[in-house]
Amino acid sequence: MNDVNVLVLTGYGLNCDNETVHSVSIAGGKSHRVHINSVLDQTVSIDQFQIMILGGGFSWGDDHGAGVIEAVRLKKTLGESIIEFVKNGNLVLGICNGFQALVNMGLLPGFDRDHNRRSVALIFNDCGNFRNDWVTLKTNPASPCVFTKGLDQIELPVRHGEGKFYSADSVTERLFQNSQVAVQYAMPDGSLANGRFPYNPNGSIHDIAGICDPTGRIFGLMPHPEAFNHPTNHPDWTRKREIAKRRGERMDNASPLGIHIFQNAVDAIKQNS
Amino acid sequence: MPHRLEIALKSDLFDAEGEGVCQKAKDYLGIRLKNVRVIHVLTIDANLSAEQLGTVQKEIFTNPVTQISSFDPLPLEFDWTIWVGYRPGVRDNPGSTAVEAIEDILGITFAEDEAVFTSKRYCIGGVDPGIDQVDKIAGELLANDIIQQWKILSKKDWNPETGFGLIIPKVILDHNPAVTSVPIDSDASLQDISAKRNLALNPNDIPTIRSYFLKKEVQAARAKVGLSDPTDVELEYISQARSDHCNHNTFQGLFHYRDLTNNQTELVDNLFKTFIEAPTLELKKKKSWVVSVLWDNAGVGSFDDNNYYVITGETHNSPSNMEAYGGALTGIVGIYRDPMGTGLGSKLVMGSYGFCVGPRNYTGNLKPRLHPRRLFDGVIEGVRDGGNKSGIPTPFGQVFFHHGYMGKCLVFVTAVGIMPATVRGKPSDKKSISHGDLVIMCGGRVGKDGIHGVTASSETFSASTPAGHVQIGDPYTQKKMHDFLLEARDQGFIQFITDNGGGGLSSSVGESARFSNGCEIQLEKVPLKYEGLDQWEIWVSESQERMTVAVKPEHLERFLKLSATHAVVSTVIGRYTDSGKLHLTYNGKTCTYIDIDFMTSAFPQWVFEAEWLTPEIRGFFEPVLKTPSDYAKIFTDLLSRPNISSKEWITRQYDHEVQGTSVIKPLVGADRDMNSDAGVIRPVLESEKGLAFAQALLPTYSAIDAYHMAACTIDEAVRRILSVGANVDHIGGVDNFCWPNIQYDPTDNPNGKFKAAQLVRASKAVRDICMAYKIPLLSGKDSMYVDGHLKGQYGETHKISALETLQFSTIGVIDDISKCVTMDGKVPGDLVYILGTTCDELGGSEYYEQFGYVGRNVPKVHPDRFMDLYNALGRAVEKELPASIHGIYRGGLGVHLAMVAMGGNLGMDIDLSLVPKDEISRDDYVLFSESAGRFIVTLDPAKRESFEKIFQEFPFGHIGTLTEKLYFIIKGIEGNPIIRVPTKDLKSAWKRPFGKLI
Repeated sequence: MNDVNVLVLTGYGLNCDNETVHSVSIAGGKSHRVHINSVLDQTVSIDQFQIMILGGGFSWGDDHGAGVIEAVRLKKTLGESIIEFVKNGNLVLGICNGFQALVNMGLLPGFDRDHNRRSVALIFNDCGNFRNDWVTLKTNPASPCVFTKGLDQIELPVRHGEGKFYSADSVTERLFQNSQVAVQYAMPDGSLANGRFPYNPNGSIHDIAGICDPTGRIFGLMPHPEAFNHPTNHPDWTRKREIAKRRGERMDNASPLGIHIFQNAVDAIKQNS
Repeated sequence: MPHRLEIALKSDLFDAEGEGVCQKAKDYLGIRLKNVRVIHVLTIDANLSAEQLGTVQKEIFTNPVTQISSFDPLPLEFDWTIWVGYRPGVRDNPGSTAVEAIEDILGITFAEDEAVFTSKRYCIGGVDPGIDQVDKIAGELLANDIIQQWKILSKKDWNPETGFGLIIPKVILDHNPAVTSVPIDSDASLQDISAKRNLALNPNDIPTIRSYFLKKEVQAARAKVGLSDPTDVELEYISQARSDHCNHNTFQGLFHYRDLTNNQTELVDNLFKTFIEAPTLELKKKKSWVVSVLWDNAGVGSFDDNNYYVITGETHNSPSNMEAYGGALTGIVGIYRDPMGTGLGSKLVMGSYGFCVGPRNYTGNLKPRLHPRRLFDGVIEGVRDGGNKSGIPTPFGQVFFHHGYMGKCLVFVTAVGIMPATVRGKPSDKKSISHGDLVIMCGGRVGKDGIHGVTASSETFSASTPAGHVQIGDPYTQKKMHDFLLEARDQGFIQFITDNGGGGLSSSVGESARFSNGCEIQLEKVPLKYEGLDQWEIWVSESQERMTVAVKPEHLERFLKLSATHAVVSTVIGRYTDSGKLHLTYNGKTCTYIDIDFMTSAFPQWVFEAEWLTPEIRGFFEPVLKTPSDYAKIFTDLLSRPNISSKEWITRQYDHEVQGTSVIKPLVGADRDMNSDAGVIRPVLESEKGLAFAQALLPTYSAIDAYHMAACTIDEAVRRILSVGANVDHIGGVDNFCWPNIQYDPTDNPNGKFKAAQLVRASKAVRDICMAYKIPLLSGKDSMYVDGHLKGQYGETHKISALETLQFSTIGVIDDISKCVTMDGKVPGDLVYILGTTCDELGGSEYYEQFGYVGRNVPKVHPDRFMDLYNALGRAVEKELPASIHGIYRGGLGVHLAMVAMGGNLGMDIDLSLVPKDEISRDDYVLFSESAGRFIVTLDPAKRESFEKIFQEFPFGHIGTLTEKLYFIIKGIEGNPIIRVPTKDLKSAWKRPFGKLI
């Protein structure tokens, strides 16, 4: 079996590269942390990878709309080759700042195979501030999203100031019709947040936390799966451990749900090849 | 020709930023506005064609989904409009990234004199606020005149075609750089020059400086390079190096300490050497995990066989006091350079903050430059942006409000890094420089910013303090540099590295040149932000985001190539030599030629008179106070005191989980809203080991005796990390002293001698407790002059001095993070224990403060007794017995029992008669005494026997149970019920003051 090679971009203010690399490794992928400039000047070709991850951070300081300059940079030099990359059956994941970059490049939502049109946006949180908190996400079982397959409800941290998903009604309708809304902010019981703060932490319309393209192979989300790479990342782990102990059990040390998103991607590539 | 692009959200979208302005106008200034919309303005001062402008407008600066934009003023409705932009020379980070983006998309390069400036225009719809109110909004909410300028127009004065016009805040220095020499014919004339140039030379240093330049051999050597009298570059260099900020003259001073109660005297020669260095060196011998202390930018401890951790902390008080956002941002970004410059360089893994500010709701008559609330907002935001944009988690922080910080606020910042124990087979904590190594400056360019920052922070704040030292950090540029330097380190390119902080190149190069014993620097090679800087300005400028690196000539090419890949500016500015001289030239002409060892030679030691009077003699007494009857009310009132209450809104603004290392978060419990005793991270993702970190400050105890303030502060910081499961045998400390001026002056500082005695006593306590607890001081800093002169209501001026403050940080390695413990009560039916003895120690407590008392019985630390108990607690944690552990801190047992119950959203039944007590028999005193050395533990009843066995020789009490019935119930010492209140009512009281802030 060949390695599943995963490109994790770094540089220019991105800052989740190390834990993303770590998460990919737990999921069985072979990760490569590569500076954006090495990709742009083609010292490193994206063709050698099967999964490309645009991770979290503050690319170019995020001063002119989060992810905007990263998108301009990547699109100008790599635009067509990324589209080609996906057409070849490969996967693209954008997390937080990477999600912002994907929508600004137009890779998402990718209606009608148009991967250049900006039709959705991630704007300033309604709460008016950067916010770090854990949220509950409900996945859409009907979604073609490769990354969320088999997941029903997951908890992950959000850490952003510009994560409010916004699109015109007609666009939103299409997203739902195509089942491209892969994850939505939910209440702890799994029902939708319906805009209630802090369950929906940023005021995203229809509680949208992440979307995929119509093929399900490009996925972007605001919460951080790579920050749930160890059982102790979960905010309730000491409480869960104590309750387990009373039952004479050890805490569940199965790989945390954040890793499943990477696992799904790695497995999908393995099955394809 | 310049162009102005205005960008705004589409009118049907909610403008969160504008809404924030509305809210603050109402809350802070009492001005009600109908609505505010914000327009982001880019002034592009570059020669671009119409087509190019169209491209950047469309492709970069306007989101077609959410924004509109125009090169003419946008026709948004308003009654008043306010434009706010930077003053010339103030760092404009978004302006720089805009240039990067434009250059990239158009494939062009901006000329030297081309730039992009960002500003904002606020469109205000109001219920007719008059011009005075609009001016207030501009000056007190939107802009700080130190760094920003603003203009206001009403609807009728607005010209829709020209708007505010084109405002270009470009620095133009019509000045030819020149070196001046300074006559030193007499001490008086040098003193005179010092005052005129704002050099802040200490009068005692002046004869030493003069005699050096008058030495025959010095003059002969200088003549050979074309110099005679000292140059301004040289004197500026000496001034920086001798400043209290860089040289810690106060801490190295000679103290004549006298106890006036018994007239005993004691001579303390050098507080640092006596109370910090000596004990740390002694402990280093005993603690094999101490790797490197007392010489580098930060201390180094062993994390595991393959990794070292690095820690340091400092303050950024004076700049934050003038420009809160910029000062705090620069502070946090600055402290992050210290671990980067420690050993061969470490990766940053966490940061923390400590803010001491005036009361947020201050309504008194003093007029600080910035209202405490506004200053506090700015400080919070500065550290937020600095930490978040650096990609470094902030898992711990603390806030303390007190009137004494109205004169000058305190902004503590602490940084932790991690580095491999060896780099290419060599120990990473060691570094050296050889003759011939190149001096490379990495990172940002040099401008006038920050000049005389060091000397300004060594002075008391007054109206004449130069504003030039305020600057705005740039975490984006620094993050790029951080990533680059770690790769350069791993490639083996770095011989030596240090940061450019206070004093700029003069300090980083001046100090590093001691390692090779000389250097030659060509100042004209230093990349500048704009032309016209004098040589001395290039040398001492504190422009941020720069590191100085020594690189071997054979590595230069590869080093620069890697630097280019990371888009980092690196420039060779000279080379290290072994000539014994610091030799600076500018275009071939020598402007500085000083012996390297001059700065370490015999300057006169500062001398202080210190006079101690006991609290008894000073007239402190215990209040005559009878027991209250309404405990429910006193509980809720204590919980909603600003220094106790929830500050979740700050914690949530700080990314505390980036890097994926979070183990114990700053907020824990069933509702994830309680303050954790400490933070724990897993800095090496592949490892199950953790780093525990906590801090404490207890300045109110200084009002009674700074010795006990310091002792209790250290004890609290220790108990905090023990509570999450840290190991008693591995605790490193960082001391940060912030003190008012201690130099006696009969008119300006009449109680200077007392404050000096307090400093001696606090330093002694640091030694005593650290020796007893075996805590080596891995790092530390001092910041003196925490005083300010504030105008009052009649135009008079008051000197406001801060309480003597020590922030103490503790760090420890946790061998197995799966054993970590949090403070929240977990399961109904669990037993509640108290460990330690409660004494009559309410002096300086929250309880007394609630009534306006100070008292006299300040809490005391009994290190030997406490240490045995802490060891026992460690054994209990090792056996995984406690379900929760929480230290008892400010507010005492009552407040902290409530925290444990609130953490689990559970009820609690407590019997005060079971609390181990020493000479204390009142319910209120037992509940609110702040005695040190105590913990609350909750326990699975099944573990009772093994737990009690561990503590059988120590004071402990099984004082109650966690209950399902959701009531917080306490029975008094006599068995009488004193409080029964729903736990949720306590929580809402605790969240009352700041719960609505986000």
